[in-house]
Amino acid sequence: MLHQYLPVLVFAALGILVGGAFATLNLVLGPKRLKGDESSAAIRQMDPYECGLPSEISKTFRFGVSFYLVAMLFILFDIEVVFLYPVGAILKSTDSVFVLAEVVLFVALLFVALIYVWRKGALDWR
Amino acid sequence: MDIEWYLVLSALLFATGFLGVMIRRNPVVILLCLELMLSAGALALLAFSRMLGNQDAQVFVLIVLVVAACEVVVGLGLVVAMYRRRLPLDVDEVKELKG
Amino acid sequence: MSFDAPTIDYAGLSPVIALTVGLVVIVLAAVFDSVRRFGPALALLTYAVTAGCLIWQWNANLDLVSGSLRIDGLAVTLSLLAVIAAAVAVLLAIGDPSETQAGRSDWLALLTGSLLGMVILAQATSMLTFFVGLELLSIPLYALCGTNLRRRESLESGLKYLIVGSVGSATLLYGLAMIYGASGATGFQAISDGLQAGDGMLSDSLTLVGVGMVAVGLAFKVSIAPFHQWTPDVYQGAPTPVTAFMAVATKAAAFAVFIRFFLVALGPLADQWDVMLAALAALSIVVGNVGALAQTSLKRMLGYSGVAQAGYMLAGIVTATQAGVDALVFYLAAYVAMNVAAFAVVVIRERQNGFSDDISTLRGLGREKPLLAWPLTIAMLALAGLPPTAGFIGKLYLIEALVDDDWTWLAVMIAIGTMISLGYYLRVVATLWMSPAGQAEAGAEIDTASLPPQIAGAQADPFEDSRADRRWYLVAPALIATAAALFFGVIPQPLVDFAQHAGDALSVWIS
Repeated sequence: MLHQYLPVLVFAALGILVGGAFATLNLVLGPKRLKGDESSAAIRQMDPYECGLPSEISKTFRFGVSFYLVAMLFILFDIEVVFLYPVGAILKSTDSVFVLAEVVLFVALLFVALIYVWRKGALDWR
Repeated sequence: MDIEWYLVLSALLFATGFLGVMIRRNPVVILLCLELMLSAGALALLAFSRMLGNQDAQVFVLIVLVVAACEVVVGLGLVVAMYRRRLPLDVDEVKELKG
Repeated sequence: MSFDAPTIDYAGLSPVIALTVGLVVIVLAAVFDSVRRFGPALALLTYAVTAGCLIWQWNANLDLVSGSLRIDGLAVTLSLLAVIAAAVAVLLAIGDPSETQAGRSDWLALLTGSLLGMVILAQATSMLTFFVGLELLSIPLYALCGTNLRRRESLESGLKYLIVGSVGSATLLYGLAMIYGASGATGFQAISDGLQAGDGMLSDSLTLVGVGMVAVGLAFKVSIAPFHQWTPDVYQGAPTPVTAFMAVATKAAAFAVFIRFFLVALGPLADQWDVMLAALAALSIVVGNVGALAQTSLKRMLGYSGVAQAGYMLAGIVTATQAGVDALVFYLAAYVAMNVAAFAVVVIRERQNGFSDDISTLRGLGREKPLLAWPLTIAMLALAGLPPTAGFIGKLYLIEALVDDDWTWLAVMIAIGTMISLGYYLRVVATLWMSPAGQAEAGAEIDTASLPPQIAGAQADPFEDSRADRRWYLVAPALIATAAALFFGVIPQPLVDFAQHAGDALSVWIS
């Protein structure tokens, strides 16, 4: 009875161990600012690339909320289209009006969402 | 290739995501870790689907992808709303509700 | 290979179709000014039509959509409970800051979406619909929790619920993947067949991990200890109408799929999971009841009490018998009535008291406003399981089902939990009735409180409503729910028939 659970335990232990390592290792290995060393060389070492133009973005730089809004809406409408993929997979073997009706219905529902977003003014750039 | 490797990878992804949710304090990173956990489930489903040779799980994975996106968008929406109201974006500082 | 259009039973699908059409209409109503103010009416109409479709399909017993959904007694009864809870939430939300700020119809669209998820979940008989229903239930709820934009607790509770809920969903998904790997199927019946046919160590340990993770994922959703930590925080932070909806409807839908998945799909493994679920139930009863003792906020207390009640209900699944399912559904129906009564009073008091849900604000209510005090009193007595209320009958059925199936120790746990729970339920009742209206308290404090808010220095709150206790849409749910809790305590037979209708649906799978 008990030996059944052994793989489970090994599985769980391994998962937690390696997962924990990934999640915590960057605290240990990640770049650390040396205490007291504020020289530009020490600061430069924090950069992803030690040579070339500084790649940092100033801390005060802010994306407008519009960026987030449009990005989130893009993700949603973009990923919804994945539901058309299974239809594409069976399209060659079908000649049924049913499939067409399903696709039209699905797109119509997406269109309702688009109307909502548009009327709410989420597509206006502010 | 053996199915075991896919399962091990998915278990690692899941554990990484879970520990990330527990350890990290930035809500955006936590949302990333949640995505990782859901992706681990999707990967396991696909691996089993290949092993069993039936397609039941493949459509499931598509749905999981969409659901994961919706979840993270709602999460980001809440984060943006908190950010605009200048609430602390560190879940340890979200203390109003502790206790 | 040719493709045949599947035959679709539109009658069986009618509740889902009605809700979907209603949802689309409500979403459109949110953006066209001329119809916006009809939002609540549209929502109530949608729910009425859905309830009508459900009652029309009362005796249905058939698989829909290639066996992904199944409409039967269990689905119909528990969907009805969820629809009732949603209708109550619509009424309680009229004039609530969360609903007004989110834009009325937008708020109602989220609520309807969540309800659609619940109806799908109650009918789900495949992993696919299980997961989709659960997420469709949860995601709008996360947003609903954050709709009271004035209070930071609201947004925080939304984010917190999202994080915890998503961990639960992901755990559940991973467990489903394991079970799929072990059984090779996604339909509940096919999983059961696959598990019975399966052998070998790999599938054994896979199944065990899978069952454990599914149980954990569902435990997050119905707030069973030790996965309950979010419950009091989210209950307190969320707008109260949302809390009321979340407390009852989520439990109804999630327990429907809990019953179906464990008794149908995992039926062959009942000997393996019953001890695990029994332990969770016992822990939940203890943690919930002990946690509630120390609370001063009424909503937090109801949150902890919900944890304990979830433990009682889970005990009904542990038996894996039809009697257990009957008792669970009965208890769930009683739970809807008791909680609706309690939350309706909380909503009314909050609007009169500057949105404080501290138990001390109830002081002396019995003398001032008996019409508010009685529903809360009876709700508390029913939740505590005292006769003559439906809560008492519900606990009796649960204990009977447990003892019949040799789970006497769990029945004893329920009795002990009930004993502990008297401590906090009766404290509320005592605050309501015994304390005089507070004149004995520090006089200065009362003076400021009794002055109009402008004079007291605080800004006038546009959402405060001193006449909230005379608004029919707030008082009616409280009174009707109270009447139901009392009526089914005295004459339980109609509700017993209701619950048995749910249990009968599973008679193929359990004894």
